[in-house]
Amino acid sequence: MNEIEQTGLATMRDCWITGGTSFELAPAAWKEFAAGASPDERERRLLAIAAQALEIALRPAAPKTLKRRPPLPELALPMLPERLRPFLRAALKQAADARGKSRVVTLVASRGFVLHPMDWMPAASDQTSPDVYAPWIDWQAGVDGEKHTSREQLTAENWDDFYPAARRTALADMRRTAPAVARQLIETKGSSEPAEVRLALIALMHFGLGVDDVPFLKSLSTDRSGKVRELAGRLLARLGQHGQPGDGGPEDPIAELAAFITEGKSGFIRRRTTYAPAKLKSPAQERRRAELFETCNLVDLAARFGVSESDFIGAWQFGADNNVDILVARMVAASGSDAAVTHMADTLVAEGGKPALFVLHLMPRLDSRRQRVLVRLILKDTQYLGALSLAEGVEAGWLDWADLTNGKTLPALRAAVAGNDDAVKRGVDQLLETLGFLATAAAAEKLIGDVVAAGMAPAAPSLGLLRLNASLAGP
Amino acid sequence: MGVCSSDERRGLEFDLKTIEALAPDQASLSSASKLTKQSNWPRLEKNEQLALIWGECQGSGSNPYRVVVDTGDHGYKCTCPSRKFPCKHTLALMWIAATAPASFTAAGSTPEWVNDWLGRRRKTAAQPAAPAPGAAGKSIGEAARDDENAAVEDPAAIERREAAQRKRAEDTRSSVSAALDELDQWISDQLRLGLAGFVDNSSDRCRRIAARLVDMKATALAGRIDEIPSRLMGLRSEERPDAAIRELGKLVLLAKAWRSTPDDAELRRLVSTSESREQVLANPDAIQVESIWEVLGEKIETRRDGLVSHSTWLLDLNSAAPQFALLLDYFPASAGRRSNAFTSGDRFDARLVFYPARQPLRALVVERKGDIPSGQWPDFGFDAADPLAAHVACQDTAPWLTDCPVMLPPGAILLDDRGEAWWQSTDDPHGIALPIADTVSPTLLGLDLAATAALWSGSRLHLLAAQSGFGRLDLS
Repeated sequence: MNEIEQTGLATMRDCWITGGTSFELAPAAWKEFAAGASPDERERRLLAIAAQALEIALRPAAPKTLKRRPPLPELALPMLPERLRPFLRAALKQAADARGKSRVVTLVASRGFVLHPMDWMPAASDQTSPDVYAPWIDWQAGVDGEKHTSREQLTAENWDDFYPAARRTALADMRRTAPAVARQLIETKGSSEPAEVRLALIALMHFGLGVDDVPFLKSLSTDRSGKVRELAGRLLARLGQHGQPGDGGPEDPIAELAAFITEGKSGFIRRRTTYAPAKLKSPAQERRRAELFETCNLVDLAARFGVSESDFIGAWQFGADNNVDILVARMVAASGSDAAVTHMADTLVAEGGKPALFVLHLMPRLDSRRQRVLVRLILKDTQYLGALSLAEGVEAGWLDWADLTNGKTLPALRAAVAGNDDAVKRGVDQLLETLGFLATAAAAEKLIGDVVAAGMAPAAPSLGLLRLNASLAGP
Repeated sequence: MGVCSSDERRGLEFDLKTIEALAPDQASLSSASKLTKQSNWPRLEKNEQLALIWGECQGSGSNPYRVVVDTGDHGYKCTCPSRKFPCKHTLALMWIAATAPASFTAAGSTPEWVNDWLGRRRKTAAQPAAPAPGAAGKSIGEAARDDENAAVEDPAAIERREAAQRKRAEDTRSSVSAALDELDQWISDQLRLGLAGFVDNSSDRCRRIAARLVDMKATALAGRIDEIPSRLMGLRSEERPDAAIRELGKLVLLAKAWRSTPDDAELRRLVSTSESREQVLANPDAIQVESIWEVLGEKIETRRDGLVSHSTWLLDLNSAAPQFALLLDYFPASAGRRSNAFTSGDRFDARLVFYPARQPLRALVVERKGDIPSGQWPDFGFDAADPLAAHVACQDTAPWLTDCPVMLPPGAILLDDRGEAWWQSTDDPHGIALPIADTVSPTLLGLDLAATAALWSGSRLHLLAAQSGFGRLDLS
C-alpha cells in the first residue's frame, strides 16, 4: 500500500467512524473499482477494499518498550522424560496444596530429574524446593540484569554476582563443609542486607551449627531487627547458651511460663521430679501459655527449674495434655540442643504409642536414621497412620516393601479400600499420597498392585504419586 | 458402596438381552445397529484383566467419539453429546462385543482417556446395572431388521425424495439471496450511521440482523455475525473501528462471492449450511491426505446461538511446509461439557478428508490407524521475511476467512508496558511483533521458541503449541 492509499484509508476510516459517505475521500485507484455503482454499493466496495488493506498491508504497531525476560536457566539435572510427564501432571493435580506439590518435586529430584517449567515452577519466595531449582527461583524473583548464577565458590568479592537463591544454596553447602568460612561471609556481607535477607542468611547457620558460632550469634543481640535477634537467640539456645537473664519477677517470661507448669514428685522408693501442665482457669491463660512456649527457649526453662534440658524432657509427663505436649515438642524443635532433641526422640520412640507422634515435630532436626525409625514405628503400629502426613523434612523414596509388610499396615489399607466408609477412604487417599513420596519404586509398584487387588480403581487419582514413583524406577 | 475385586469380575462377554435391557428406547437400538459395522470403528480394544472394552467410533462429528464400557458392572462413558444413556455408540460397542468379540484387540495397558474415566468414576453397584424402566417394547431383533429394511428403497420413493431435495435447495438459494440483499443494506446502514455507534451497540445490532438471516436460511452467516461483538470486545477500544471495518468488509466480499457462485461448496458452507460427513466423503473434489498428524491444540467457544464450537487443530508432520487441518464440531451448550477426543500433543497416523475449499482446512478423520510417539516437529526451514506470509496467501484466495493457522519462525514472547504479551521474531528483534490474545504463562517469557503454531485473527495471535529448548509446549 502506497502513501496516498494509506492517507486515503485513514480519512475514509475517520469518515466511517462518524458516519457518512467516503467515496470522494478514496484513493483514485480504489475509486475505479467502486465507480459506476449505486452510492450504497460504492461504499460497500470501498469497505471491502479497506478491509483487505487493513488485513494484509497493515500490522499492529509494536510498542518500542517491549521487554524481554532473561532466558530461563537450564538446571543441573535432566528434565523428566516426556513419557513420564502425564504421570507427573496427575500427581501434581492430586496434590492438594503447595506442600503436596513440593513433595512431588522432591521425589522427582531424588530420582535425578527436574520438572518441565510449564508443569511446575517454584515461587519466587520458595525456600522448600530442592536446591537444584535455585536458578529458577532467582529467575522468578525477576532480578533483571546480566548477573549469572555462577557455580564458582561464593566469596565476599563475587557476593553480588550471585542471585539470592543461588547464594542461599551456596552458603548452605558451605556451612556443611566449611562452616567458619560461611559464617565469616554472612558476618561480612549480611550486615549490609535488608532485615528479610539477613534473617534468611542467619537461618542458614543451623547447618553445621557449633560453638564457634557463639560469638557471632551473640553479637546479633544488638541487631536492629527483632526477628533476627529472636532467631539468633534460638540458635544460641540450641548451643546451650542462655538468653538474657530475667529478673524472675512477674514480667519475666520464663518465670511466667514456669508458673504455668506444675512441678511434682512420683515414685515411692526413688522419688523423682515430674513436670506437667498446670490446670488453667481460662482460655486466655491457655493462649498466653501457648505464646510463651513459642517464644521461650528450652535451655532457659530447664534452668528455671534447675535441671538440664534432657532432665526436663525426661521428667515431662507426656500424655497429660495433648495440646501442651505439642507446644513442648515445638519448643524443643526450635530451641533444644541436638542432645535434647535426640534424647526426646529416642525416649518417646522407645515408649511407642501416641507419645511417639510428638517426635513428628522434631523431624526436620533428626538424622535420617531416626526419621526412618519413627516412620516405620507409625506404620507398624497402624493406629495413627494419618499422622504420617504431618512428617516434614523426611527423605523421599526409601521405604521398602518389607517396611509395609512388617506390621498391620497392608491389611488395614486393604480393609479400608474394600470398605464403604467415605471418611476412611479419604484417609486412605492421604496415606497413599504419603507412601507415594516415601516408598522406593519397587515398593510403590507392589503397593499399587495390592490396593488395586483390594478393589481400588487402577486409575484412581490417589494412586498418582505412587504411579509416578513406580515409573521413576530407572531406564 | 459395593466394589468388585478383579477376581470377582465377569468376563468380557455381553449378551444381546442385556443390551436390549440397557437401551433407553427402540430408536437407540436401531441407531446402534447401524453402527455395528466394523468400518465405523477404527479402534476396538479390550483389557480382560480390567474387564474393559473401548473403541473409537467415527460418528457424524469431525472427531471420533471415544467409548469405554466396563463389562463387569456395565458402567460406560462416551464422548458424544447425546442425552440418551447409554447412547447409540455405547450400545453399538456392547453389540459388537456380543456378536463379534474377536474384533477387539487385546491391549496390555489402557489409554490415558480410559484411565481418566476410571479415575473419575465412582462405582455404585457391585452387580451389573439393572434394566432401565420402560425396557419393555424394545427389541434388538427388530432393530437389526430395521437396518436391513432400510437398505431397500423403492426407486419411485428415491425419485420423490431427490425432487423434494432439489426443490428445497432452490428455495434455500432464493431465500439466502434475499438474506444477502438485506445484509448488504444493513452494512450500508452501519456505515451511514457511523461505526462508532456500531461498535458501541454491536451486540443488539448484530443480534437483530443475525435473527433475520436465520429466518432466511443464511444460518452459517448468522452465526458468524453473532460472534462479531465478542471479537470486537476482545480488542482495545482504539482498535475496534478498524476491526469493524475488517469484519464488515469481509461480509461484503463473502456475499459477493456467493452471488457469483452460489453452488460453490465452500461458500454455501460459510453462508447457509454445511455438507454432511457422507457428502464430503462422497465428493470426488474433496482432497484426502494420509499422514502423521499432531494435535496442536483446541479451542472451545460457547456461541451466542447456544452452540458450542469445538475446534481441534492438527499439524501434518509429513509435509515439508506447515500444513494444518481443523476438526470442527458443534454441539448444544445445554449438553454440558464434552470430553475431549484428543489430547494436545497426541500424534497419530490417519487419513483425513478435507472439505473442498480454496484453502482446505476443515477436515474429517476418515481412517485412524495408530498412535505415534511424540517428538520434534519437522524443520520447516522458515525463509519468508514475513511471519504472516501464510496468512497473506490465505487472504489472497479466500479473503472472507478470519482465523488462519500460521507456523511462526524462531521467536520469543515479550511484554509491553501494559503487561500485554507479544510474539517477536528472534532474527528481527526490532521488526514485526504480533500481539497475543490471551494471557500467557509467565514461564513462557523465559523460553526461546524454535517454532510456534498459532491462529492469526487479523489482530491477535491465539497460541496453540510451540517447540522450545524445553521440548513441546502446549499453549492452547
